[in-house]
Amino acid sequence: MAPYYSPTAILTDAQKAPTTFSLAVPALSHSPLNNNSGTPITPATTLDLPLWLAEMLAVSRPSGPASAPLATLDMPSALGPKVMNALTADSTSVELRQQAQWFYGLGERMLELFEDEEMGAVLLNTFKKRALEIADKAQNTRTAQQGGDSGDFMSGLDETERQLFRAAHDGTHTVKRWFEATSRG
Amino acid sequence: MALPLPPGLTPSEVGFLCEMEHVTVIPRQTLDGLELLGGPTGALKPPLPTPLPLWLALLLKKQRRANITPPPWLSVEALTQILDFETDERTAELFSPLPDLPPATTTAPLEGDPYLAHDSLELSAPFLKDAATARAQADALPYHWLEIGHLLITHAADDFDDLDAVRKLLRDLREVRMSKLRKGFEVLDAGGGVKMNGVGGMEIAEVRGFVGGVVDGLRRLNRSREESRKERETEERENGLGSSSYRDDEDEDML
Repeated sequence: MAPYYSPTAILTDAQKAPTTFSLAVPALSHSPLNNNSGTPITPATTLDLPLWLAEMLAVSRPSGPASAPLATLDMPSALGPKVMNALTADSTSVELRQQAQWFYGLGERMLELFEDEEMGAVLLNTFKKRALEIADKAQNTRTAQQGGDSGDFMSGLDETERQLFRAAHDGTHTVKRWFEATSRG
Repeated sequence: MALPLPPGLTPSEVGFLCEMEHVTVIPRQTLDGLELLGGPTGALKPPLPTPLPLWLALLLKKQRRANITPPPWLSVEALTQILDFETDERTAELFSPLPDLPPATTTAPLEGDPYLAHDSLELSAPFLKDAATARAQADALPYHWLEIGHLLITHAADDFDDLDAVRKLLRDLREVRMSKLRKGFEVLDAGGGVKMNGVGGMEIAEVRGFVGGVVDGLRRLNRSREESRKERETEERENGLGSSSYRDDEDEDML
């Protein structure tokens, strides 16, 4: 389970995944989960539930180990075949932030639930390639701030990649500041 | 959680710690030996050269009571030689070698376990004995080369023969080595490693945040694969033990 107090883990788990209910839940028809519409939740309704809720429903077996779970969990569209193909073709041009703000966190949780080797391999490759791009961009921040064409890549980074960029940039920046500070004294 | 700083030393901390290295000082005034926490310093009798910690050397220099001798590797010839080594195509994978480690001073009481010896004092980088004194090795860059080099050319400028050349060489060296480090990023993997023999303290501090983040992200993504691989391995090992029943069948056949 993700650490309890980490804001990263909380935000990651708050991302949504499509869940298909396998039994009727009439009491929840007016809940915000159902977009506050009055349509009853019948055994075939598919809703976008946050991960923490969807996982609990999908994993729990209310009447003992042999019965069916309360809901089935599908792969969210952010990790669907279209995105996977785009990532295999060109990892750095996909806007991960559009798909999911905590893309790699989402992928990690999904890999825990479904053992999809291919998806794991694609995610690893994507991460590595984009990390190289981030390292390049972090070095040349002067031109990146002036230029506009690199803005697409930067705005498409998900949260973990943004933290990586900040770490790389901070490293170089702190070293430069140390050099300047010691030159004065 | 509460402390926002990342684990490990920050560049400013590395810069502070480098001032513990010893450098050779030529005093201009007498001074008695001081009993410092790190150990006693020799008495200063001009014009005999004496080793002193860098922070003390810089202080005396500022008060014009001493001159600092640049270590042998901080000269134009030595730096040019090291720069040639670094830029040579054949050494694109390596960094210039470290100074030789001192020979082991004690033998371990336990066979092959020096860490458990009570009185072993194996020195290793960063604080080797003669890293930046006049007796340092002239063809190797010690662990704190960048920081010590920078501090000396800033504060002891008149002790150098050719200050601009040294400054330029230091800058070139730094760029070459950083680009080599960055090329090493490409082979980062969840379980992989990069050969970093000879990388200095400040260089590590610069890339620590980024490399740590990348390796951690790769580890998390790889976690489910690692776990299933471990399960498979333990299963195979148990099945392997179970195949000892093969021998039992043979014995029964013999009967």
